[in-house]
Amino acid sequence: MQFFGGSAAAEIAPSPAAPPGTATGLAGNNANMLYIFNRSGVCLLYREWHRPLHTLDAQQDQKLMFGLLFSLRSFTTKIDPTSVDKGNLGVPLLPGQGCSFYSFHTNTYKLSLLESPSGVKVILITHPKTGDMREPLRYIYNIYVEYVVKNPLYVNGTPIKCELFNTNLDQYVKTLI
Amino acid sequence: MAPLAPRTGDAVFANVERVNAELFTLTYGAIVRQLLTDLEEVEEVNKQLDQMGYNIGVRLIDEFLAKSGVSSCVDFRETADVIAKVGFKMFLGVTASVTNWDAEGTSCSLVLDDNPLVDFVELPDTCQGLYYCNILSGVIRGALEMVSMKTEVTWIRDMLHGDDAYELRVKLLKQVPEEYPYKDDE
Amino acid sequence: MGREVAESCVDGVIMEMVSAYCNRFYSSKPELAARRIEAIGFQVGHQLSERYTMERPRFSDHLEAIKFICKDFWSELFKKQIDNLKTNHRGTFVLQDNQFRWLTHISIDASPDNVEASQQDSSSPTSNNAAQFTSMHLYFPCGIIRGALTNLGIPCAVSADISNLPACSFVVRIKA
Repeated sequence: MQFFGGSAAAEIAPSPAAPPGTATGLAGNNANMLYIFNRSGVCLLYREWHRPLHTLDAQQDQKLMFGLLFSLRSFTTKIDPTSVDKGNLGVPLLPGQGCSFYSFHTNTYKLSLLESPSGVKVILITHPKTGDMREPLRYIYNIYVEYVVKNPLYVNGTPIKCELFNTNLDQYVKTLI
Repeated sequence: MAPLAPRTGDAVFANVERVNAELFTLTYGAIVRQLLTDLEEVEEVNKQLDQMGYNIGVRLIDEFLAKSGVSSCVDFRETADVIAKVGFKMFLGVTASVTNWDAEGTSCSLVLDDNPLVDFVELPDTCQGLYYCNILSGVIRGALEMVSMKTEVTWIRDMLHGDDAYELRVKLLKQVPEEYPYKDDE
Repeated sequence: MGREVAESCVDGVIMEMVSAYCNRFYSSKPELAARRIEAIGFQVGHQLSERYTMERPRFSDHLEAIKFICKDFWSELFKKQIDNLKTNHRGTFVLQDNQFRWLTHISIDASPDNVEASQQDSSSPTSNNAAQFTSMHLYFPCGIIRGALTNLGIPCAVSADISNLPACSFVVRIKA
């Protein structure tokens, strides 16, 4: 016997609200790939939506990406004209120390970076004409928190294999223009 | 686009999923009681609570950073303020005050007048050595370690032991910069 | 509305408690870890139901008490009610929550790479025991329900079924 309930549709767990202007329903193939690194340089996630050309094996590719960001930040801080406090080139910085860059673009792609003070790096590669990706990156960081960090089965520092994270990420990335 | 300003403690707390504090307080109380039964030694319970707190802090830091929008934790003074005003507020719904800085600016006290962990708690005489809230000091130590600050966190005052407030001493031992993780010849 | 804390506080404390009992204190004795986790839940459920029933008359029968757990008690804890209640009229009740809050962050993944990841760190739950680790998390809410009903004068056994995540069914068997 059934007292109450029935087939009430389950609600999707509330995630943080998407930044305005991102859910336009357009596009869907703007994002090329995404990397997430932790503070030790371990690539926790590499996800690819559109990348016709591969030239390196995955591990080399990830190492190169991490190295690029590491060196670029060291350079950008070194040539910062507004700061009197200059580190020596190559001297390790604290996450968030000195100036930090959040994107660059070439004629064929744009790279956007979020680095949290905990050293988590979220890197998104998109079409070169994409707008400011800082809010979307923060949204992705929030998805990471909800479905990776809060997943009791996830062990810190290991590659991300969380189905809920991937589903939510894919869904969100489709809304980016 | 508007600059990504960090949000105030009240604003963040209003936006996180919240639960009835009784569930939290009673759950924590039940855990401490079970630990006292299973581990027998009060010292060992203190240690395990600290360890649990540390592990929680290591995870909680990313939720804190993601939801508060704090983008840099380089200056220890600012960081202590952020913990007191935004961190405590966001998770426990209360704020702490930061006092008693030493001359070097490397150690300070976080003072809590109101602490939801201890609602309905009274320590029996057999538990006088127990730092009931030791999980909190562990959380702070774990979270700070993730933003490159090695700290030592100790209890100075504890209302369960008859003091007039809860006071945590946070001492910065060193800041560890990010090292290039790969060897050059690889 | 009484005092509130962030949900992550409760999640974090439960997650660490389960991991401490399963991985540190009783790593080679899962059945002992399970019993301790259930005991912690029992205390919590017992105290909460005591608090929530202070002002109300005693329940006239088992069904009334179970309905109280499904509605008022569940709402206090999870801000929603149990979605579905069934019984066989012989002392067994099935309480189903279609979106059990304490399971909404869990993804159990059986992808083959997971094995590789877990070899790097022996403490990591492998895909094989991910389900077992998840079930460890359920001893706590099972204990809460048993504690709450025991406080209402109904001795019972409670188990959980999660074959359809994040839905969760709690099976209450009342002891005659």
